[in-house]
Amino acid sequence: MMEPLGWGGILARAAVQFLPVWIALAAVFAVSIRFRRRLGLYGKLFDSGIGMAGFAIVMFWVFTALFAGWIITHDPLAQLSGMRNVAPGTPLASAEGLYPVYLFGGDSLARDVFSRMVVGAQRVLAIAPAATLFAFMMGITLGVPAGYFSGRLDTGLTFLANLVLAFPVILLFYLLVTPEIRATGIPTALAAILFLFPILFLTILWNSRFFTNPRKRSIYIGVTLAVGLWAYSGLAFNADPLGVFAMDPNLLNVFVAVVFVNAPTVFRIVRGLTLDIKTRDYVAAAQTRGEGPWYIMLWEILPNARGPLIVDFCLRIGYTTILLGTLGFFGLGVSPESPDWGSTINDGRRLLTIAPHPAVVPALALMSLVLGLNLLADGLREESLKD
Amino acid sequence: MTAWDPSHPLLEIEHLSISFFTRLREIPAVMDFSCSVMAGEAMGLVGESGCGKSTVALAVMRDLGRTGRITGGAVRFKGRDLATMPDEELRRIRGREIAMIYQEPMASLNPAMKIGAQLAEVPMIHEGLAKAEAWARAREIVADVRLPDPDRILGAYPHQLSGGQQQRIVIAMALMSKPALLILDEPTTALDVTVEASIVDLVKALGEKHGTSMLFISHNLGLVLEVCDRICVMYSGEAVETGAIGDVFDRMRHPYTQALFRSIPLPGADKTTRPLVAIPGNFPLPHERPRGCNFGPRCDHFAAGNCDAADVPMFAVAGDDRHETRCLRSTEIDWAAPAKAARQAQRARVGEVVLRMEDLRKYYEVSASRLFGGGETRVVKANETISFEAREGETLAIVGESGCGKSTFAKVLMGLETATSGRILLYNQDIQDTPIEKRTTDTVSSVQMVFQNPFDTLNPSMTVGRQIIRALEIFGEGGTEEERRAKMLRLLDLVKLPREFAERMPRQLSGGQKQRVGIARAFAGGAKIVVADEPVSALDVSVQAAVTDLLMEIQRQNGTTLLFISHDLSIVRYLSDRVMVMYLGHVVELGTTDQVFSPPYHPYTEALLSAVPIPDTHVQKKRILLEGDIPSAMNPPPGCPFQTRCRWKAQVPGGQCEREVPPLVTLAPGHQIKCHLRRELLEGMEPVFTIAAE
Repeated sequence: MMEPLGWGGILARAAVQFLPVWIALAAVFAVSIRFRRRLGLYGKLFDSGIGMAGFAIVMFWVFTALFAGWIITHDPLAQLSGMRNVAPGTPLASAEGLYPVYLFGGDSLARDVFSRMVVGAQRVLAIAPAATLFAFMMGITLGVPAGYFSGRLDTGLTFLANLVLAFPVILLFYLLVTPEIRATGIPTALAAILFLFPILFLTILWNSRFFTNPRKRSIYIGVTLAVGLWAYSGLAFNADPLGVFAMDPNLLNVFVAVVFVNAPTVFRIVRGLTLDIKTRDYVAAAQTRGEGPWYIMLWEILPNARGPLIVDFCLRIGYTTILLGTLGFFGLGVSPESPDWGSTINDGRRLLTIAPHPAVVPALALMSLVLGLNLLADGLREESLKD
Repeated sequence: MTAWDPSHPLLEIEHLSISFFTRLREIPAVMDFSCSVMAGEAMGLVGESGCGKSTVALAVMRDLGRTGRITGGAVRFKGRDLATMPDEELRRIRGREIAMIYQEPMASLNPAMKIGAQLAEVPMIHEGLAKAEAWARAREIVADVRLPDPDRILGAYPHQLSGGQQQRIVIAMALMSKPALLILDEPTTALDVTVEASIVDLVKALGEKHGTSMLFISHNLGLVLEVCDRICVMYSGEAVETGAIGDVFDRMRHPYTQALFRSIPLPGADKTTRPLVAIPGNFPLPHERPRGCNFGPRCDHFAAGNCDAADVPMFAVAGDDRHETRCLRSTEIDWAAPAKAARQAQRARVGEVVLRMEDLRKYYEVSASRLFGGGETRVVKANETISFEAREGETLAIVGESGCGKSTFAKVLMGLETATSGRILLYNQDIQDTPIEKRTTDTVSSVQMVFQNPFDTLNPSMTVGRQIIRALEIFGEGGTEEERRAKMLRLLDLVKLPREFAERMPRQLSGGQKQRVGIARAFAGGAKIVVADEPVSALDVSVQAAVTDLLMEIQRQNGTTLLFISHDLSIVRYLSDRVMVMYLGHVVELGTTDQVFSPPYHPYTEALLSAVPIPDTHVQKKRILLEGDIPSAMNPPPGCPFQTRCRWKAQVPGGQCEREVPPLVTLAPGHQIKCHLRRELLEGMEPVFTIAAE
């Protein structure tokens, strides 16, 4: 049996475990810096120290999630006897064929904290960007017309958005995930509506652009509808005939809740940007050559609002991550076994005075990811203002 | 501190060099710049955008920001070097001895402070005056800048004043501590011509009254002629010619100065017989300046081996007072030689009537609160009884200041709005009630528009070629993608842009190039009528000539009818066949260019003509200053729209002007005026310009 590891040994071993991540990071940075002059805004990110730091942290977690299978030292759900609440660097009692040490210690159920943190990254990074993307689809599909047409439509939609924003977020979550509410079918109905937006968005996008070329339009829209509706049937109703797309009903609830809470804010940002951009001469030029309103909205206005939207997208993934953490902390919507960071922090909370590491490790992970996203957003904002 | 002797220059700039330092490189903005301003003298700094004139002004205030640095030379104010002066001392001089006036008046005033408090702050900070005294001085100065009702103005917030009034307040603020030097950076560019004229007049009078020296920065040669005693012409970071204003205007000794004068429409220029001469090539970027003379590559008198050998110093011009030029060949060039005869073009054939408007009206209803309804609705009469016709191949200029309804008129014609009443006949087809989405592709593609702001006219996230191809797609031109692509390349040829530009993004193009793309896009569907909304007003003068020329050429080839909306009467006189003058939604005068530019005038046309600065020392102008601002279209005056500012009103008996809108009177075939004045009075009007015999 080996000696317990000191902090130096723990960090050295952890660094070795993350080897695939380091290699991937080095490759990405080398290629990006080499070609940064040809990569537009993404390339300019590498001119700013803050942006680079943020990007490095975010990519660290992205690669961690991707290579989780190689990084983990133990099965995140396996409980090994004698390892309850052990301190970081404690060797296993009997290490036959297993990694000989719990790097970041063990939790109250004798599971490896390190491996749970790594797998937790996978959970967080699977939901947060996707949920943010859906929130953006919804916010854009409603916000651009509200800003462009103004009038009654705008008044009505803004009122609805304010209504959602005025409702306490945590309460809303509780409501959406309580079994009684779920029994009424409201979350499923909401999911049905939310998942419709991306399909709607893309269909309008292609139609407005290619209606002058019916053949091309039919191909684009056909593919969009086929793939979109197929995924839709699976994700929203769990009725995918081929069984490729499916979503755990718990996860679906969380997903819907997160999108529902974020969409109104995105809506307001998009609407404001649209109000500004629609006064530009190139919009007037499109109007005077007889373009339809959807073309103007999606091809003339939206691309020019991208700067602030990209920055907000990064920030919003951060908020969503925190939100998911909060949900997990309250034990909402995820299975009790789940290694996601929020629930892990909650589990570790009870024994915080005896063994702080099961809570501190995922808390630090969560914090660093959100910090990285914020830095990345700052860097993007700074660089997009320069030209 | 030694006392300053007023016989020495008040401001002396010697061999000043300024650079901006970016992450990539050092960008030299100003090189070897020298000039001196004596007490009471007004110095004009002229040049195109990017030539470094504002940088010089900022260097005098030593306000170059974090990246800018003075890399050589000295700026002496009253004998003391500002470049090395400690910050503490500099703060005492800024605002107190040197004051600066910027282009955007609204941006120079604090929107959260009342005018009186902002003005009083200046002497309270600089001279430690008591509050009551400071307010008394503020009141005095507000009266000095000829604002009516000073007490009301002092209690107002900036947004409650018009643009002209705001600029007067900014001037008042600069004058509060009685500075010795006033720096004006394009002080009137954001204002209408008639307002500009009165501000310029004010600045001149105040300069004389207080003996203030001025550094007047402008791109407008005419304005500089009116205000300044001396002039300094800048090109690409260098002063190329400096001297007394008369010397430089009449005996210019630098090819750039000459080229600049040849590219602006002076009275006498004509689009067919004496066309403008654009300066070939482009302005060099600061880090791509050529060796030797910066203007060399664009100069007609360039001599290889001589002009590009070494840096060119300033040479004194013999016989003139402090007249210098940065030209090696100034004594060899025949300055009196006329411009190389530019191609003389055929006048376009004027054909059938293609567009006719009859009694067009456009009213907007504005209600106080939209959400809950109620509130009184007010009517904005943007266009009132507009009637005219335009023929094939003709250029009809529509002239007027902001708020006169020319943009509304364009919107109604384009179909972005529908008319309240009246008719618009396009090829004898009623289109006044057809919004653009109901118009046929044919109608839409035959009426197109060229926009004002080149930086706004193209979608910044689409390549130039893509944008033109899109217009072709929408207009149903060309059957396949390849045909459209070929057509797009031909359109680029038409507007004289290289074909590689198809793949460029708009941000890689200069203002003039973007405007050319805008023109190409407008002609994509073979437009018959093109509405050009101030297409060149945002461009530099040398580029203006080239873009105007291009428009004229395309017009001649295609027989296009051009509706040219502008407030710049010099360019209107140069290129239009007929002129329509608008004021507060009314057409006040309509006639051929000659008829409108010579008496009899409508009183408004007269004032407008008089307000236009003309960069020619031979032209004598009658000064007619308009009182006050343009009334709001929300609350127009009763009777004649112009009666509140008209200097002829007293000549009409019985207050008729205040009661009735005058009828359109036909004075000569094709010449109509909306005025109550008797015919004898109108015919007795004196011309605004007289050209002095050479």
